[in-house]
Amino acid sequence: MTDTIVVTEMSKWFGLKVAVSEVTIGFRPGVTGLLGPNGAGKTTLLRVITGLQRPSQGTIRILGVDPRADPVIYRKIALVPEDETVYDRLTGRQFVELAARLAKVDNPKSRVGAVIETVGLSDAAGRALGGFSKGMKQRAKVAQALVSDPEVLLLDEPLNGTDPVQRAHLIDLFRQLGDEGKTVIVSSHVLAEMERMTDRVVAMVDGRLAAVGDVATIRAAMTDKPRRVYVEASDPRRLASSLIVTPGVVGVAIDGGTVHVETSDAGDLARQLPVIALENGIRLARVEPVDESLESVFRYLVEGR
Amino acid sequence: MTLAIHLYRRMMRRGRVIALVALSSVPGLVYWLGVFDADSGEAAGLYSEIVSAVGYTFVIAALILTAATLREEKDAGTLPYIYMRPISRPWFAAQSIIAGSVAAIVIGIGGWLATVLASIAVGNGLGPTLPALSLFVAAAIGYAAVFVPLGYLAPRSLLIGLGYIIVWETILANVVTGLAQFSIWRIALSIYAGLEDDFGRVASDTLGPVTPGVGGGVAKLAAVVLIGLGALTWTLRRRDAL
Repeated sequence: MTDTIVVTEMSKWFGLKVAVSEVTIGFRPGVTGLLGPNGAGKTTLLRVITGLQRPSQGTIRILGVDPRADPVIYRKIALVPEDETVYDRLTGRQFVELAARLAKVDNPKSRVGAVIETVGLSDAAGRALGGFSKGMKQRAKVAQALVSDPEVLLLDEPLNGTDPVQRAHLIDLFRQLGDEGKTVIVSSHVLAEMERMTDRVVAMVDGRLAAVGDVATIRAAMTDKPRRVYVEASDPRRLASSLIVTPGVVGVAIDGGTVHVETSDAGDLARQLPVIALENGIRLARVEPVDESLESVFRYLVEGR
Repeated sequence: MTLAIHLYRRMMRRGRVIALVALSSVPGLVYWLGVFDADSGEAAGLYSEIVSAVGYTFVIAALILTAATLREEKDAGTLPYIYMRPISRPWFAAQSIIAGSVAAIVIGIGGWLATVLASIAVGNGLGPTLPALSLFVAAAIGYAAVFVPLGYLAPRSLLIGLGYIIVWETILANVVTGLAQFSIWRIALSIYAGLEDDFGRVASDTLGPVTPGVGGGVAKLAAVVLIGLGALTWTLRRRDAL
């Protein structure tokens, strides 16, 4: 299957700040997850791909065309931007109609009605967007993107602010679009969301590609990574000496009243800790897992390469 | 013209329109206050002088409005909804400048109507005020051609625009005679002067070395519009949209 989007040695910097660094990657039909912590460069990558920003170096081709050179390609590309702002004075229907007219959609009325129904906004379409909840605005943004029936759809954090029902609905919709042969790129910083949408993931951190592959690879990397847990206890020395012989614990250090524990199995530690405390008559004041964030996982992936 | 209509509607919020029409109505108010004791001959001359000299309030109103044409979309993060459309960049630029021009013309006509009402109120009828419509329309088009691209390009376009109006048009163009030829206000004024027989002394001073005449004024205005169109097209193609 040929790539519909080809990014070649693309970098983007703003003054001295490098937002995306020498990314070379192809995207093909189906859903691809663009995963990474906040500030990883996902939004910049999407903006450069869509032509909203010029690459500082490298090239972008969508369906063989440089989007900045030929706006006609925008008949086939659509973006759901991350920004929450929409035209608050327009109704949901007017917003989608505006998109349809600007995109020169044939038979816009029926198409607008169809996409509004697709995103489940039929009842609210006559209301001003200013009164929409965040989740409803997200769906309106998805509707304006779908109205031109694009071959390439890029969605920047489209599930932000949606409730679980809306989220499930949108995830199903994105999967369906991918199954129909459209190239769908969805950015997110939540791995669990991504797992429900696709197996194919591009992970970014600090403007670089951290991993390209399936979700299982990322998951495995997360599992392999030792976790750190801070434990405040009434007798840290005694707790530390008990923990050091506990299976899965790979390191223990004492800092004042706090025990810093490194474990390869955080779940097992969570089960063992109360038992050890009870057996040794130690009172636990605080148990705090640290560096659980996706960012730390990505950093681990990058450093481990 | 969907884009132009959309941009126009977005710019013309009720509160903003009221405030800017009020600002551009200052010449009408000054005229009304100034011609109480004047005969009709003096009033006509005074009208040209007031509109020429006090009309800068309209320029500031036009700046506020036209600089916002694309700047608001950019600042709000809504630009992708209009930028990522199959619209050629020259046509995108043209529609943006058309939207800015029409919005500024509406504000200008609002201000002009204030002078009409003032003229009628003091018993001078429509006579002296009619040619001034050309001044506001021409100025609206000229300023839109400059300030729409400026607003898109520069986050501090209002400050830069004010600098242009105050430093360039008001001070430098008066001191360095050659620069007056590149003053949009004077270009518009030259069209007005070409239509108005009773062009006042102050108005002539404002015009400076720029020759009154409709043909020359319109030609210069067309050149300004073409330059603005070219600059905005280039910017849309070459610069980051966000």
